[in-house]
Amino acid sequence: MASSVTGPDEVVLDHGSGAKLSHELVSLIVDTLGDVYIGEMEDSAMLSIPAGRIAMTTDSFVVDPPFFGNGDIGKIAVCGTVNDLAVVGARPLYLTLGMILETGLPITRLLQVVTSIREASLEAGVRIVCGDTKVVRKGEVDQIYLNTAGLGVFERAPLRMRDVRPGDRVILSGSIGNHTVHLLSIREGLGFEQRVLSDCAPLNGMLDELLATTGEGPVHSVRDVTRGGLAAVLHEYAQATGLTIRVDRARLPIQFETVMATDMLGINAIHAANEGCLCLFVAPEAEQEVLAALRSHRYGGEAVAIGEVTAAAEPVVLMRDGDGRDSVIEELQGSELPRLC
Amino acid sequence: MGKIAVLTNDLQGDVVYLTPERTAVIADAQPHYTAFLDEMRRRGHTVYHLQLINLPDDPNANRKADGTLPLQRGTEGAEILPAFLADGDVVVEKNKDSGFYETEMHDLLQAAGVDTVVVTGLQTQICVQTTAADAFFRGYNVWVPSDCVVSDNPADRDRSLTWLSGYCATVADSSEILETLDSKGELPRRVVKTLP
Repeated sequence: MASSVTGPDEVVLDHGSGAKLSHELVSLIVDTLGDVYIGEMEDSAMLSIPAGRIAMTTDSFVVDPPFFGNGDIGKIAVCGTVNDLAVVGARPLYLTLGMILETGLPITRLLQVVTSIREASLEAGVRIVCGDTKVVRKGEVDQIYLNTAGLGVFERAPLRMRDVRPGDRVILSGSIGNHTVHLLSIREGLGFEQRVLSDCAPLNGMLDELLATTGEGPVHSVRDVTRGGLAAVLHEYAQATGLTIRVDRARLPIQFETVMATDMLGINAIHAANEGCLCLFVAPEAEQEVLAALRSHRYGGEAVAIGEVTAAAEPVVLMRDGDGRDSVIEELQGSELPRLC
Repeated sequence: MGKIAVLTNDLQGDVVYLTPERTAVIADAQPHYTAFLDEMRRRGHTVYHLQLINLPDDPNANRKADGTLPLQRGTEGAEILPAFLADGDVVVEKNKDSGFYETEMHDLLQAAGVDTVVVTGLQTQICVQTTAADAFFRGYNVWVPSDCVVSDNPADRDRSLTWLSGYCATVADSSEILETLDSKGELPRRVVKTLP
């Protein structure tokens, strides 16, 4: 990868002017992406894709801070979009990459993000096909904002919320709350940042392996647990299916230090954002097979069944406590924790 | 047996005199707080003052109502209050809530052979709590004297002390800490109950 900087050592407005400095910056980004970038610098990417159904998604990324302990905004921008494609059953193929840069951002920091984008793309098996770079004045963005759009293809039946059935088991592929605690700890220096790391990861490989193991059918629907946390996902499914979903508090996978931090901060881990956790709805007879397949993957070692979709025709989410009592998990009106992705 | 160090948090004019309520609670605590520091010094335990300095480019630093940034390096408001300082004390700059976050604190304590920290200062539910948690994660035996930590709102302090006691620290008032040192010659490390 080439990484030499011959122009200014920080982003300046002229890097977004479309003139010579713009071209130099784009070349630097393209060189850093290396073989992950397969665009041809035309105004549009021209792509060959297999005939049939495709999946598309887009997401913008404004995470604060953009650089954290075990990742950065570039990694999140790839993983977030890849995971959105993967959870509907598509194979992620291509990403676009839009960047909005604040003047003064060191070029080395920009290239750190681009390197993360390259590494995450390689792991996820996707390629960057086109991009855009804009530069704004100091204070108009916070260092760097990204947008990625993704395209995937279906090589199997899509996974949909409408296929969830009463009796389905609800499975989480990993611990919840860590991404939120890690970022909040770095923002304020809370002391948890080395003990609790972000879970940000591309999960398409794990999902591929799972579906190859179980075959089509037992896994009815999947969501990645991001903004709004587990509670938001469960509410989404309760509304979409019209059914009551009940989870068991004691089974929720929450790291001890994350329990400490969320208790300190007065937040509930079920509302905390994650970047590398799947929530799966699977046929009851496939529960153990799914758990075993997830646990065999590096990102699924903490996989656990947390509850089930009941037959009750009321779209609510219940939490069962240790005494067997159920309480309703209310959907949050908003969030006091902005910019986690 | 390792050494014991006393850590203070944010005993600085820009912090202590921020609100009348805070000034009042510090004034109430000051006599026994400084007496405790003096007694610990007399027993040979070093006092480390964590000095909060806001970095100009920190977007999360709390600004004054007029938009200016308090706690700037070299300003009077950032200095440790003289009433709490003594010869032999060590001042350690920090830029975030925890006194261990990207500071020299851990290295200094390790070099001095410290394995037990007594965390004091303000505010209990922010800097004291996070510094204590961070110390716990780094393997220190953590004690918090309940009468040498303050918060604007006493309810915040009480909730924080409950949290500290529940997760990572031994909470006792300063006289109990001194009595424990007298009777046992050390501050025993508690067995922390971890959640499943």
